[in-house]
Amino acid sequence: MKPLLLVTKQGVYGSLQDQGRYGYRSFGIPLSGPMDKVSFQAAQQILQNHPDQTSFEMFVGGFEFEALSDGMYVLTGGHCTCLVNNDPIEMWKTFRLTKGDQLAIKSVHQGSIVYLTPLGGFYTKKELGSSSCLPLGNLGTSITKGSILYGQITSPLTYNRGLYAPYRPTFLSTISVRIFKGPHFHLFTEESQRQFLHNPFQFIGGNRMGYYIKGPVLQLHEMQDILSEATQFGTIQVPQSGDPIILMADAQTVGGYPIIATVHEGDLHKVAQMRTFNTIQFALEEA
Amino acid sequence: MQPIIDFPHSMWISQHTVRFAFNDEISHTNFCAVQAFSQFLKKQLRHHLVESVASYHTVTAYVKQKIDIVPLRTQWLEMQASTNEGTNRLLKIPVCYDEEFALDIQRVMDFTGLSFEDIKTVHMSKSYYVYLIGFLPGFPYLGELDSKLFVPRLKKPRVAVSASSVGVGGGQTGIYPVDSPGGWNIIGKTPLDLFDVNGKEPFLFALGDEVQFYEVTKQQFWEMKSKGV
Repeated sequence: MKPLLLVTKQGVYGSLQDQGRYGYRSFGIPLSGPMDKVSFQAAQQILQNHPDQTSFEMFVGGFEFEALSDGMYVLTGGHCTCLVNNDPIEMWKTFRLTKGDQLAIKSVHQGSIVYLTPLGGFYTKKELGSSSCLPLGNLGTSITKGSILYGQITSPLTYNRGLYAPYRPTFLSTISVRIFKGPHFHLFTEESQRQFLHNPFQFIGGNRMGYYIKGPVLQLHEMQDILSEATQFGTIQVPQSGDPIILMADAQTVGGYPIIATVHEGDLHKVAQMRTFNTIQFALEEA
Repeated sequence: MQPIIDFPHSMWISQHTVRFAFNDEISHTNFCAVQAFSQFLKKQLRHHLVESVASYHTVTAYVKQKIDIVPLRTQWLEMQASTNEGTNRLLKIPVCYDEEFALDIQRVMDFTGLSFEDIKTVHMSKSYYVYLIGFLPGFPYLGELDSKLFVPRLKKPRVAVSASSVGVGGGQTGIYPVDSPGGWNIIGKTPLDLFDVNGKEPFLFALGDEVQFYEVTKQQFWEMKSKGV
């Protein structure tokens, strides 16, 4: 391993993520892994990395780095202005940093999550089989100002690779997301069921554990406690307030709120890239 | 011979998640059914199963691809007729109920009308089973608590509960695996670590374990703690 980057400015939130921590959900350890799997996987493919290499995931940018050695990288995810020594560079296409270069991830114009991936992936200690960071379980390494990101020793790519613009995902301010009925769908009033399926909801904020959305207040036929059961990335649960929460990549493994629906796995990246006050609408599918 | 457990209600939650549900209740019958069914799925789906999460009344299976549920029904009945498994691991867990650790003992005494001694005795009087793990990494929900010890959770959760604290809340008792906020009534502390990511066995408890508590003095607590048993 070799030191690649020094974090010179800390953004909103950043964490190292690989594909996730499988096999420990029955012990209460969330899966973790990338919020936007499509952008994450694209990065590994562009660099011809192993699909389980580690990327640095950033919420709405704001991070700045200084290169501690020469290296090749790619930026994928939400569209943002990225500068190398104050000159803009293209996302979705490999670029090189030489020792001393300054890389700045500025504001994101579309979407909300950006992945920085070096050739060979970042190097960090694996815990319980994964390098994904989970602050709640003290797993993985937290990245703050002054942290050093390490990389693998790799033989350099001699040419640039990238994804042609038409193949890059776009992140719209209004999204339609496929869902499956949840185990407690029938416990909601018919009006709430209808409103959930036909009314738009607005994203009001969240983090890697859950996204809060607001729309018509969803109510149960009768107030009742639900026995806790398994939840996952994409579970839409409704606490007593009636405002749904979409559980995200660091989703708790079990939860005690009624589950109205679960997001189709193919649409999770769209949910992940929502920005505050974006609109989300649900489309029912048969599981 | 054990009574035959009906095949649970099955439902696809998403493309790679299938949920099997028994009766909607917290009970020992359900616990046994869930345990047996979890083992059954591990065996039957071994090539397709990524992992599974059990709760009081459900087993949720995360699978690599869509599986056919129909053959599982007959296999489930055949398995029950042929085997009589179900040996749980028994864990004896030392607890120090000293006032230094039993932060909410006064509240528990007020609610239950029991003395300090009675609370300890009742808490240690029976075996519990790990019905559920969740909320925090490795947090065991142990059931079922003697109804004499039913105390609602704190109205305002504590900002910080230290790891290894033993609490009661509603019909269950549990132990905090890591320092965290929490609303259970704390009645003691175990010298054992519940979650040690660098340990050979990172988790002290697994779903289905049988758990018995026994009392240790403060001196024994610190001895055990320093030895790291």
